[in-house]
Amino acid sequence: MPSIAHVSAAVVLVVFIAPALAEPVHFSEQVAPLLEQHCFDCHVHGSAEGGVKLDDAAELATSEGDGKIDPQLWWRVLRQVRAGLMPPEGDKLSAKSQATLEEWIKGEAFGYDPARPDPGRVTIRRLNRFEYQNTIRDLVGVDFPTDENFPPDDTGHGFDTLGEVLTVSPLLLEKYLDAATKIIADAVPTGPLAADAPERERQRHDRFFPRAVPDSPAERTAYAAEILSNFTRRAFRRPPDSETLDRLVGLAELTWTTPGATFESGVAKAIVATLASPRFLFREEQTEPADENQYPLVDQYALATRLSYFLWSTMPDDELFQEAAAGTLRSNLLGQLARMLADKRSGELTRNFVGQWLQVRDIDTVLINSFTIAMRDDPASAELQERRQRLRQLFRREPETLTPAEREELDQFRKERRAAEEKFAKFDLTWEVRHAMRRETELHFDYVLRENRPLTELIDCDYSFLNEGLAKFYQIEGIEGLDGNEMRRVTMPAGSHRGGVLTHGAVLAVTSNPDRTSPVKRGLFVLENILGTPPAAPPPNIPPLEDFPEAADGKVISLRDSMAAHRSDPLCHSCHARMDPIGLALDNFSALGIWRDKDRGEPIDPTGELATGEKFAGIDELKKLIVERHSREFITCLTEKMLTYALGRGLDYHDVGMVDEIVERVVADEYRPRALITGIVESAAFQRTRN
Amino acid sequence: MFDRSNRRQFLRGVGAAIALPALESLAVAKAPQSVALPGTTATGAPLRAAFITFPNGAIPKQWWPANTTGALELSPTLAPLAAIKHKVQVLGGLDHQNALPGNDGAGDHARGGAVLLTGARLNKSATDLRAGESIDQAIARRVGSQTRFPSLELTCDDVRKSGACDSGYSCAYQFNVSWRDASTPMTPEASPRAAFERLFGAGSHGERRDHFTRRQAEQRSLLDFVRDDARAFQKQLSSGDRVKLDQYLTSVRDIERRIAATEKFGQSPDPKSETPTGEPGSDRNRIELMFEVLALAFETDSTRVATLMLAHDGSNRTFGDLGLTAGHHDLTHHQNREDWIANVAQIDQWYVERFAWFLQRLDQARDLDGRTLLDNSMIVYASGNADANRHSHENLPVILAGGGGGTLRPGRFVQHGAKPMTNLFLKMAETMGGKELRRLGDSTGVLADV
Repeated sequence: MPSIAHVSAAVVLVVFIAPALAEPVHFSEQVAPLLEQHCFDCHVHGSAEGGVKLDDAAELATSEGDGKIDPQLWWRVLRQVRAGLMPPEGDKLSAKSQATLEEWIKGEAFGYDPARPDPGRVTIRRLNRFEYQNTIRDLVGVDFPTDENFPPDDTGHGFDTLGEVLTVSPLLLEKYLDAATKIIADAVPTGPLAADAPERERQRHDRFFPRAVPDSPAERTAYAAEILSNFTRRAFRRPPDSETLDRLVGLAELTWTTPGATFESGVAKAIVATLASPRFLFREEQTEPADENQYPLVDQYALATRLSYFLWSTMPDDELFQEAAAGTLRSNLLGQLARMLADKRSGELTRNFVGQWLQVRDIDTVLINSFTIAMRDDPASAELQERRQRLRQLFRREPETLTPAEREELDQFRKERRAAEEKFAKFDLTWEVRHAMRRETELHFDYVLRENRPLTELIDCDYSFLNEGLAKFYQIEGIEGLDGNEMRRVTMPAGSHRGGVLTHGAVLAVTSNPDRTSPVKRGLFVLENILGTPPAAPPPNIPPLEDFPEAADGKVISLRDSMAAHRSDPLCHSCHARMDPIGLALDNFSALGIWRDKDRGEPIDPTGELATGEKFAGIDELKKLIVERHSREFITCLTEKMLTYALGRGLDYHDVGMVDEIVERVVADEYRPRALITGIVESAAFQRTRN
Repeated sequence: MFDRSNRRQFLRGVGAAIALPALESLAVAKAPQSVALPGTTATGAPLRAAFITFPNGAIPKQWWPANTTGALELSPTLAPLAAIKHKVQVLGGLDHQNALPGNDGAGDHARGGAVLLTGARLNKSATDLRAGESIDQAIARRVGSQTRFPSLELTCDDVRKSGACDSGYSCAYQFNVSWRDASTPMTPEASPRAAFERLFGAGSHGERRDHFTRRQAEQRSLLDFVRDDARAFQKQLSSGDRVKLDQYLTSVRDIERRIAATEKFGQSPDPKSETPTGEPGSDRNRIELMFEVLALAFETDSTRVATLMLAHDGSNRTFGDLGLTAGHHDLTHHQNREDWIANVAQIDQWYVERFAWFLQRLDQARDLDGRTLLDNSMIVYASGNADANRHSHENLPVILAGGGGGTLRPGRFVQHGAKPMTNLFLKMAETMGGKELRRLGDSTGVLADV
């Protein structure tokens, strides 16, 4: 890889690890000179390039202790510095200076205390529709299709687990009431078991009514209380308080004492009410009663619930409940973690976390015009495409108004189109192909997680997960023994350029436009979700590209050239210079995720360089670059995404220190996913809450 | 799978054939009177307001009528309105200043969503939602008690994209135009079938009243418990979490009120049409079915206020039936390429065509005062972006259809000259009998000459 070795000497590698300094950083002696030398020219006293104004630090530098430090601003500074974007080329910080600056920002600007980190505050979380479906299945054994019955949940930071964004509207509550009624009608018997009931019916009955119904009213009430106490302990994910239980028993009693009603129907009614209760729909959390700390530990039921929804997207199972009840969960955390990850329910972490992080969930529905894309890259069909507009006009006219010549033109076109359709049928992004694409990414993550392989294999490796249909769709030859449907791990043939999520069909398709690739979308995807250095949002009032370069001779302008024209605008340059090269390196994969050497007949040029200066010749080298030079950024990005998903809140500046510590663990443990998940679960944010 | 026959039967089996028990009994109760009740025309018929939102603005050159003001001359994009032109007015010069970037930077499609009917400045956050009450909810608060449903919220978007939404804004802003209060979006219904069954009950014609009544009884039997439970639960929570329980409790009250209202109005209507399919297949079918459900809701006086999102702002829907393979949003950034501009204008017209179908549908239905439903309605058709290529929010494309019960002067193109869009909303609230609504978002007064 000659181009990787060709890194310019001026580049400061941002993989540098800030060492823990023994002494607190002294601002006026250590930090102020750095800022003065590298930052203040452009960022104080009226000059605030990029909207960053460091006047607070400048004041601090002149009159120690008086300046008020804005942590949000310094969080931005930290991200820019870590990404290697600031200070600009030619004025880079030395590794030692950067460590000093980072230490000061974290300690002083953020007030981070590693001994007592701020766990942040999570707004009470409503179950999203995936969690609801899983929970109902585990709680009462009914598979209720929430995608058909509930509206999609709103999201923030790309995830549907965020407490603040999971709102309740009248429509949704109505749907919850209806769902509870319907689910319990399926799950809970409303009358006594017939003597000759089949085994299935008996099991269904015994699940809720393990004993015969007693005769005396007092015993009945006691029996109902026993059933409902057991049920609500699981439904509310903690023992119910006596008041709530009394109300439920009261509702059951009210129902079964109406003429003609059964005991069972009364209990069923109370169970319906349980599922409509906010204590079921929201995840209540309490703290350890003895913990007077400013940041107390959440109690063991809350911990069990945090664990089960993080790893399984469902309620705790019996074993977790037992540990919570016995108060032994926290001391046996690692044992439980290992058990939970080995359990097949951990596939939900892949489905829901990876499905949203890498957006592969969207492959099921993404709008892709396979036919147009396939024709676009086939020179013989390009002309057919161009004639479409003209022919559409003919199509729209009444047949009798067409001249014979026009009619013949139309017939000819139809024939050609049919032939083209047959020729391109193999490009059809069918439901089966979409499904296989999603599974490819899911299985890869699952494999890395279960085998505890280095997380960097998600970016670069020599294997993938395919079935015969997907291998054919990708047009990969030379793989033996593939099954028609079953996905299996295969070593990719040399020169396939495959391996790693960036080369997965699902990722490539969901980051494309419906009819062609979008290097901008793909570049943005990598910056946001792999490298964790999202560019600033585009400026408002973007000037339209008035002078779009149309070649005079009518020749097709290559995507690369048109994008270069775009980047030449200084307003666009700083971000597009980061996004576009990465996207162009992936342009050898069509919008369908199929390898190609040409775009509309023109050779694709996938060479480029990163904002940090390293050059690459194409996707193979880009993957290597990320793994060899930017693995820390990748792990940091993944940690931030997974923490957001796990905690159910957006991250803030006070989380930076915690994220750094988790990343440190992962790097020290050779990028093992277990280190990441253990790090998250053991973090203050996962274990504690703000009082 | 898309069931063509189901759709045709649903769309055909309506109109004149419908039984209107609710309306007929209403007619007796509300004889013409000098001072109209809120939500009522001077002749005692129901007055309705609907807000139909379409995505990504419109190509200005093809949208705006050639004349500067006066009698409406239809532009190319508005051509599908020809048959109904005299009942439509095109409004120029209405702005959403709060959708402009201000200090918030990018995010014009998020703002194009949640600002459109609220006129509020949004809090730019992926999690901390703060918009404002939307006009439909403000009107529903005043007239909602007169119908079985205070308002309807519908959408034709049935899938969501993963990943972050527009430039740091929560997806909630982009996918909700109706807001009950600053932090509570009114989730819209995306299934035509579910929307229909919620209004009229499940099952086929003849069975629906029973189903409707049973469902309502089941809901009601739970409300006492969940209200008490939510109140007790709320007391145990911290203040940040109480807000969530407020949303829950407000929803409980809304359902209680709605159940009381449906009981007050007696038996629920049961349209003769078939229940629409839950899986319409194409976008065109979904939109037409949703329009039909909305028309039925108005026709049966089940509600007088509604919102319908044809798509969220920023939508990248493709239009196979126009032969267009690129996505709508991608095309709107057209780089001044003539073919792309023409494609976007085609899409703009496609949406207007669906809207025109809906207006004609309303104009064929007789209201109890002998006028058409359209005459007794105010239907706004608008987008949260003006020119999506530039992400502008001034001189938004806005149509106001219907006669407002004889209070509006349609058939015109009126230039209002840089007025807040919310001024139009205040005018509508006033016409609906909500005079006391003095402010909405950035409004500065009641729009004149409408």
